[in-house]
Amino acid sequence: MLLPVNTKCECGHQNAVGTVLCESCGKPIEKQLLDSNEPLEMRYDGVARRSQKANPDFLDKIWNFFSSVKIAIYLIIITFLGAMLGTIFPQASTFISANFNPSVYYAEQYGLPGQIYYFLGLHKTFSSWWFITLLVMIGTSLVICSIDRVLPLYRALNKQQIRKHHSFLKRQKATYSGQLTEEANVWTVQYGEALKKKGYKIHIDESGTALLAEKNRFSRWGPYINHIGLILFLLAVLARGIPGWNVDQYVSVTDGDTAPIAGTNYYVKSEGFSMELYNNEELPEELKDSGRVKTFKTDVVLYECTANCDDDFLQPELTEVKQHTILVNDPLRYKELKLHQFDFNLTPRINAVSPMIVNKETGESYGPFHLTMVNPELHYEVGPYTLELIDKYMDFSVNSDGEPITISSSPNAPAFIFNIKGPNLAATGEVYMYFPLEKDKVRFSQDTINRELANKIGINVEGMENVDYSAATTYLNVRIDKAVKFLWIGAVFSMLGLIMGTYWQHRRIWLRIDDKQLTLGAHTNKNWFGLRADAAYALKRCGIELDPKSLDNGGHKG
Amino acid sequence: MGKNRKKVQVIVLLLAFLIGGYAIFQTFTDDNNGTIKEGHAVPDFRLANLQGEPVSLQDYKGTPLVINFWGTFCEPCIREMPSFERQYTKWKEKGVEIVAINLSEDTLTVSNYVKKLGVTYTVLRDVDRKTEKRYGLRSYPTTFFVNSDGTLSSVFVGEMLEAQINEHIEDMIGG
Amino acid sequence: MNWLDFSSSSFIAAFFLYVISFIFYMVAVAGKKWANRVPKEHEARWSKRAFVISTLGLLAHLSFFFTRWIGSGQIPTSNMYEFITLLGMTIMIAYTIIHFIYKKPLLGMFALPLTIIIIAYASVFPQEVQPLIPALQSNWLKIHVTMAAAGEAFFAVGFAAGLMYLLRVIDYKDTTKKGKRAQRWLEFTLISIFVIIGFIVAAFAFKGAGYVAEFQQETVSVSQVGELTTSYEVVEYTMPPIFKPYNSETLQVTKFLGMNDGLFETPSWFNGVNSGRKLNTVVWSIIVGLILYGIIRLIVRKPLGAAIHPMLDGIDPDDLDEISYRSIVIGFPIFTLGGLIFAMIWAEIAWGRFWGWDPKEVWALITWLYYSAYLHFRLSRGWHGKPSAWLAVIGFVIVLFTLVGVNLLIAGMHSYAGVD
Repeated sequence: MLLPVNTKCECGHQNAVGTVLCESCGKPIEKQLLDSNEPLEMRYDGVARRSQKANPDFLDKIWNFFSSVKIAIYLIIITFLGAMLGTIFPQASTFISANFNPSVYYAEQYGLPGQIYYFLGLHKTFSSWWFITLLVMIGTSLVICSIDRVLPLYRALNKQQIRKHHSFLKRQKATYSGQLTEEANVWTVQYGEALKKKGYKIHIDESGTALLAEKNRFSRWGPYINHIGLILFLLAVLARGIPGWNVDQYVSVTDGDTAPIAGTNYYVKSEGFSMELYNNEELPEELKDSGRVKTFKTDVVLYECTANCDDDFLQPELTEVKQHTILVNDPLRYKELKLHQFDFNLTPRINAVSPMIVNKETGESYGPFHLTMVNPELHYEVGPYTLELIDKYMDFSVNSDGEPITISSSPNAPAFIFNIKGPNLAATGEVYMYFPLEKDKVRFSQDTINRELANKIGINVEGMENVDYSAATTYLNVRIDKAVKFLWIGAVFSMLGLIMGTYWQHRRIWLRIDDKQLTLGAHTNKNWFGLRADAAYALKRCGIELDPKSLDNGGHKG
Repeated sequence: MGKNRKKVQVIVLLLAFLIGGYAIFQTFTDDNNGTIKEGHAVPDFRLANLQGEPVSLQDYKGTPLVINFWGTFCEPCIREMPSFERQYTKWKEKGVEIVAINLSEDTLTVSNYVKKLGVTYTVLRDVDRKTEKRYGLRSYPTTFFVNSDGTLSSVFVGEMLEAQINEHIEDMIGG
Repeated sequence: MNWLDFSSSSFIAAFFLYVISFIFYMVAVAGKKWANRVPKEHEARWSKRAFVISTLGLLAHLSFFFTRWIGSGQIPTSNMYEFITLLGMTIMIAYTIIHFIYKKPLLGMFALPLTIIIIAYASVFPQEVQPLIPALQSNWLKIHVTMAAAGEAFFAVGFAAGLMYLLRVIDYKDTTKKGKRAQRWLEFTLISIFVIIGFIVAAFAFKGAGYVAEFQQETVSVSQVGELTTSYEVVEYTMPPIFKPYNSETLQVTKFLGMNDGLFETPSWFNGVNSGRKLNTVVWSIIVGLILYGIIRLIVRKPLGAAIHPMLDGIDPDDLDEISYRSIVIGFPIFTLGGLIFAMIWAEIAWGRFWGWDPKEVWALITWLYYSAYLHFRLSRGWHGKPSAWLAVIGFVIVLFTLVGVNLLIAGMHSYAGVD
């Protein structure tokens, strides 16, 4: 706009270009606005929002785009529609097995819709580039929307004039005009006192015939504090992407074992997993015998490595730092590390046996000797016998060529091959194959393998006390999350701002008395119902009784 | 805001662009978690050989190195070991070293197998599966071909034929 | 009489009091035109009685809640039945609060049936006290669930006021395309409510008659590594099988209207062992709902919306708009705090991660985003009135999907115990 515009108001105040309502007295500046009778647009009290410039350059255009509430609403809508898509089929992140193959799973489990889902990348909706882009745009919008609005608002509310122009007052969304019989100054003070009882701050100008009553201005800042909280929250979410700030992995520990926690200097030992089911008296009819879990927990000891930590040749030295019983709602917490109870497996694992060696010819038995599944001793002296361990298999089986092999590294079918020297045995020793587990003795026909030696020697475990086994394996979720505290701070700000902005409303009532003519106008950002009630209450206390509804001038539209 | 308006706009939009850009960029690179990328340094190790002596990755600095992870319970691992032995003999004068890291089994089991197979290259024993986890192993066997500067030349998952081992070693020395 | 028995009796008492209250509201409105009455007085008198009865009902409902808590030793918020009855209770609390602010008794005419339908729906699910699984053994159960229900209750009252606004304002004499479209959508909304009532009626009727049908279903499932495994499961139906499970063998079917086997087979692409039963239930709900709707439509001989429209004549639509908006505004921070923030804190403690994009979490976020869009819409001129009312109605549909749809249709960590 090249033509100069007159922005000096009749009250004498010089306004900035773009001002809608005079900053001083509130009179509409533009002639068209002045002549109309529509309720006034009270955004920023009509102060010029200098961001609405005449010739936006490129930077301005981007700024204005993000500053628009309409755009923000579109972003929110697209985001939640996108989120809906992410709930149709289970997301890839819910499968923690290392063998999960998404390119096969969705097509096989769900057919064509699953195939399309995978093809569009929807199995990773929430870590997809478009979803993150939406969140980034919402974050940017939050920042720019707020900056753009909070400063004009602050300026507008900071210097408010008490005596407003008639058209300003009459075109508020709640208004009243009438004649007074009392003395103007007295009436004004009386009105002020009445509103004081409702918690308003009263300002009366020097003439004593104009009044501004204001309440709860702080609630206007609510939305901005909320937005700051949300921005902090989003930044914290983002910060979890920084390497090392977010560790989320699983460690499985069998009873009695000490397992290293990968990527850290910590080790965790399971002193035992235990699970309790509800017994039938505690369960209603249809759940009896359903095996409903009551509690499951692991007693653990946390160690920190203090020496030789990267050295697997020398054993790392561990120092105990914490003991805890981990329950689902009670993780172990140590510094920034948390261990949560995630899952469990009740498959027992045999750790060691303490068998007796029996001389079948004399009937005498000797021992017991201690035989571990992992790294056993190679040499045993038991009574008159000497046992040399010459080979072992953790999970014994026979391959297609008839050769003995092990099919896994877990002691599912342990087998030990000894060279035994002793009474009535060859001087160089005789080879004996021993299966500690009964089922394997039968399955692999131990006696047949050992031929005549089986008639001379027996190796037997007597009683379960001589079997050392772990009853269960516990799965713990390892979590380090350095960003989470900022998250909570953001959430607190957000809630504070929400509460400030919704449960209190900013109310202002202006009035002026000219020659016994009272003109009153009132404004609030929400809840006109309550504002009208306040204005009417004070009027009643000053002798003017009316239905609050009658003050309405378009304020019912919000 | 006034005169500072331009400054504020630039700062805010720049920050949004940088931080947002970083976040979006991450969605493209998060796909392979834990696996070592070619050209990157391979993780350190210090493990015991079958004589009980310590051997570490640093000992092989300046030498092209083949690291083969194997277990006695893994049939394809056992099947491919003779191929590795033959390749070791072929490439020994060129300075190529081969190291076979066993997947945390007992010394007895491992030395019996090594004796049976007649393997002459160095065999090391991993402890508590720590090295295999550091190397991001998902299945067995997996073989890493490491340049003399300690960076990864290539990785092969699964059983290797002798011709394939040969090809990868050639690439390793050449590259 | 022990606590749990007293609790059940309180619940029944509450239900009947709510029904009586609803009848009184109807009398207040319909009876305005009866002979020998001053309409305004009649309406005011009966509304007051209705409100007193509904408050008594609320007291009975609270008694149900607290005596069940004492009797079972745990807060009654852990399975579907308990949660939905809690929601009914919080809706009545929210309604009572809104009533005290705005003193518009006719809101009760819609809030009451909403509550009644909700607690009737809850009653379909197993009612026995089920001991808490380890994940739920935490104080956060008390805080998160009750607050989320409180927030959603206000959204429900906003929905009721929004629906009333639409019934009040949509002009059935309007024959333009736009007008007709509005009428049809409103009617569709009312029919949907009937389908829910249809579900409740069908569930109780067939269960009450002891109906049973059993099928053995053969399913082939895919493991995470792509392996295929075949399993056999017995599926039990409590409604006549219009759609029997896919790939199943009939074990036993109680005869109904000449039907002694499944009429149709559930299509193969329906996933999950209970999907056939769920489809069957949905189809029955639609059938019974449409029948009920049809009967009422035959009686009043015009669209249901048109029939209800004159009852709302005495209400200022702007008041309804304000009540709808205000309810949602009050509920939003409560829902944010209870449904999202406390949920995140509890998830962090129990599962080690404050957010996992679990379907239930995502839908709670969707609900939150939706209502924040609603609040931002209201900042614009022109979005008050009808658009706002429609948004309030749709919003509650999203809330219901979050509470019920996710549990029934989508699996996840959050699935409630005791879902049929």
